[in-house]
Amino acid sequence: MLEENSHPNIIESGSNAEKSSQHLVNLQEVVKTYHSSAGTFTALKGVDLQVESGAFVSIIGKSGSGKSTLINVITGIDRPTSGTVVVDQTAVHALNEEQIAIWRGRSVGVIFQFFQLLPTLTSVENILLAMDYGSHYSRRERPKQAMYLLELVGMAEYAHNLPGTLSGGQQQCVAIARALANNPVLLTADEPTGNLDSRSTEMVFRLFETLADSGKTILMVTHDNELAARAQRTIRLVDGRIQDEFVNR
Amino acid sequence: MLRARWYKVINDLFGNKTRTLLIVLSMSVGLFALGIILSARTILSEGLAESFAAINPSSGTVRTTELFDEEFLESVRSMKDVQEADARRQISARVRTELGEWKNLTVFVVADYDDIRVNKVSSQSGVWPPPEREMLIERAALSVIGAQVGDVVLVRFPNDTERKILIAGSAYDPAQLPAQIDGTPYGYITFDTLEWFGEPYGFNELHVLATHAQDKDWAQQVVNHVKDKAEKSGYTIPLSMIAEPGQLPMNDVLQGILLLMGLLGVLSLFLSIFLVVNTVSALLTQQKRQIGVMKAVGGSTFQILGMYLVMVLAYGVLALLIAIPLGMAGARELSSALAVFFNFEIYSTEVPPLTIKIQVVIGLILPVLASLIPFISSLRISAAEAMSIYSISKGRFGKNWIDQILSGSNLWFTRDLSLRSLLLSVRNTFRNKGRLTLTLITLTLGSATFISVFNVRASLSSTVEDMIKWFNCDTMLTLDRAYRAERLNREALSVPGVEKTDVWIQLPTRLVRSDDSESGMIYMFAPTVKPDSLIVSPTIAEGRWLAEGDDNAVVVPSAFLQDEPELELGGNIVLKVNGKEYTFKIVGTYIGMAFLPVVYANYDYMTRITNRIGEADALMISTRDHDPVSVDAATSMLEAHFESVGIRVSMLTTINMERRDAEASFDAIVALLLVMAILLALVGGLGLMGTMSINVLERTREIGVLRAIGASNRGVAMVFIREGIVIGLMSWVMGAILAIPTSQGLNQALGQAVMGVPLTYSYSLPGMWLWLVVVVLLSILASFIPARTASRLTVREVLAYE
Repeated sequence: MLEENSHPNIIESGSNAEKSSQHLVNLQEVVKTYHSSAGTFTALKGVDLQVESGAFVSIIGKSGSGKSTLINVITGIDRPTSGTVVVDQTAVHALNEEQIAIWRGRSVGVIFQFFQLLPTLTSVENILLAMDYGSHYSRRERPKQAMYLLELVGMAEYAHNLPGTLSGGQQQCVAIARALANNPVLLTADEPTGNLDSRSTEMVFRLFETLADSGKTILMVTHDNELAARAQRTIRLVDGRIQDEFVNR
Repeated sequence: MLRARWYKVINDLFGNKTRTLLIVLSMSVGLFALGIILSARTILSEGLAESFAAINPSSGTVRTTELFDEEFLESVRSMKDVQEADARRQISARVRTELGEWKNLTVFVVADYDDIRVNKVSSQSGVWPPPEREMLIERAALSVIGAQVGDVVLVRFPNDTERKILIAGSAYDPAQLPAQIDGTPYGYITFDTLEWFGEPYGFNELHVLATHAQDKDWAQQVVNHVKDKAEKSGYTIPLSMIAEPGQLPMNDVLQGILLLMGLLGVLSLFLSIFLVVNTVSALLTQQKRQIGVMKAVGGSTFQILGMYLVMVLAYGVLALLIAIPLGMAGARELSSALAVFFNFEIYSTEVPPLTIKIQVVIGLILPVLASLIPFISSLRISAAEAMSIYSISKGRFGKNWIDQILSGSNLWFTRDLSLRSLLLSVRNTFRNKGRLTLTLITLTLGSATFISVFNVRASLSSTVEDMIKWFNCDTMLTLDRAYRAERLNREALSVPGVEKTDVWIQLPTRLVRSDDSESGMIYMFAPTVKPDSLIVSPTIAEGRWLAEGDDNAVVVPSAFLQDEPELELGGNIVLKVNGKEYTFKIVGTYIGMAFLPVVYANYDYMTRITNRIGEADALMISTRDHDPVSVDAATSMLEAHFESVGIRVSMLTTINMERRDAEASFDAIVALLLVMAILLALVGGLGLMGTMSINVLERTREIGVLRAIGASNRGVAMVFIREGIVIGLMSWVMGAILAIPTSQGLNQALGQAVMGVPLTYSYSLPGMWLWLVVVVLLSILASFIPARTASRLTVREVLAYE
């Protein structure tokens, strides 16, 4: 596990944080409005948010409060109707879909609630595919790095298993390793434990804590207040606005 | 007022126009193929019969060496069993083409063009009847001599008279082999013009129409009676022919084509069914969640099934609206093109109502029946399962041995290679094996047909090669009469470029059966048999070829033994030569065409028993160089030299011309097969497009994941395009294997129909490689639209707010 493997990649991530005093994530007046035949719905109503490098931030709120929209706007999965989104000095809101996909592959690790591993690729191949798209490592380095990441999340022995043969917790660990494939500056996770039992939830959350301790910037959406409290900072969204912020530790 | 669920059906039909278009197109291609084939088949069959009946076709033809007059014709007309008879003069002349090349020209002289009673010839264009010192040309022959009505051509008769003659018009004579097929054009003149060429008046060809003309055996007897009468009147009969009742000369080939069209019709029907099952599966994949919702709100299986079956019926109706008019138009075009090729008139291109009925039944009922299979399995799932969104698309990948081979430790060697997205495509291919199987069946049948068409073409060429390879010469000349063999050889060898010569004699014979009945005309070719002979053995089916010391040995066509049950290999055969009966021994059978029986005997023996020792009436030459230019040059010089020394050539053909003419006669079949193969390939391509569209739909979430981990538009599209290529390549391999038995079947069917024996089997590697290129391009094209759709999906659309 991570405690026993102090790898240069993780240190590199930490040093990235140290080298810049600027905010890694900077949202200014972000509004997101959806139009449909039923009418218009504003999910984010002028959100300002800054996240520093190395921070572990949890986002909480009721269903429909805009937490997923917020995280999707940050990762470029969704576009703001107005306002600016800057991540690691990149104006994400100004990129087109193609540029966003390439930027995201290199700069952001996205973790989903339902793991979303590609079922026809083995654990290691899922990670290698992300590495192929991101091209952060040379071709020769990739297999070694992928195995290192699987060791990091404690899944090395399942490297050549197809996702269908793994438990939910194991799949989420592999998905986290995949999110780390190109050593991104930011990890985002939308309800990463929402589909796991309590034991797996604990295993996955510890992994996030370890990554955070090693200097990774993490943004995590959760509806579990207890878990949210284990992050360094918690943001509560209500009706598309940041209502509270807590510093937990 | 319509119930709410029917609004859903209407909205589903017209709400997703791209899907409706794809399904309707897939169905209509199959129905169109079926319509065009069935309609063309009927139009041609009926048109052929009607067209041929209109010319009052003869039961048989009797040719005389000596000329006869109207008096003899009248005596034949008055014979009890002769319904009608007519006479012509037939002359083997030569015509100089536009390019300066001399070609054979068969000239017919008719006494009264307005009173042709049998094998009627009619006006096609220009003047009618041919004026004095002018000529009409059979309409199919104009292209062969490269001339047009109004042109003046140079014609040379066997008596050496050359005349420049105006082509005053074109005639239509369906009783003759189409000129572009046998390479011989036909001309029509009057007796006045014949006189201008220095030829005497008189007929040498008698066309007889027997009473009970549909009975071939009876017709044979009547024609034999006419021959006997002619022989008793002192005429020599070098040739007589019996026609198949009511059939055109090229009927066998046309029947072969019609048979193939029938086979392809059945094949396209099967493809349509697979396509329907595939497209309906696609529809159900898209509608899975909605089915779940309908079940959840109380929809019974019966009600839901009813809705979707009505939807399938609606697709069928839309497909028929496209397929029926297009099929009718296509059938008319195809029939007209084939009628031109085979030189007969189609009086009506009315599409038979039965074809439309079949299309309607197939278009409406088969899709419903075919779609029941995916419907039933789809409707069996529970509402909860149908509505489930809590997983990435369910693939059953990883369960069976194919998946095991393609995954995990078996592919250890790929770990250090950047092949992940390729592996993803390859493995995705095998995720839904049922769908893959249906797609593969459709594409594989298309592949096999395409490659088989090329195989049939290669087999036709091989058969032609087999048929002519035993003529180890470059040019064959038939002379107007017998000459001294030694003189022929000497004169020919004196021509520069001629290296070897060989002679033979040709004799008309008839088989005499044990009950004293006689067969129709059989040609006997008696070549010299020695080690350096220019004629080598044809392909022997059984027994052996002639040997140098053979006396009364003969080699007969294999089909001949089937037609004449009394005959057997090693047994005796009685042949009437020059009015006398001789007993021969059948030492071998060869593979040859059934419709022109030729028997082979030894030159030395035949010249001995017919008192023609040292004579020959045909000559073969081998030139120093065998390329067409050298052969043509040497042949022209030889013809000129023979002319100068008084040796008259009545027919001349080079092996290159023979090969070209024989292959040209099969071009129509090959072109037709190719059209059909392209149609089937199109059906296969549409099937693949349908499959890839379902795959994109099913894997929408995965596309989102690919996007989320950094895949570019191209990266996403390539996953699906590669998958399409993998399916295409698999169908290519399977199609290439399936093409082996398919081509054998086609060769068997076509060969039997055209020649009475299967074609010489040949597998076309160029065809196989060409299809590889086509199938890869087709796969890319078929996957491109779904792949582009996939690459345009944003992550939010597919992941965030489902």
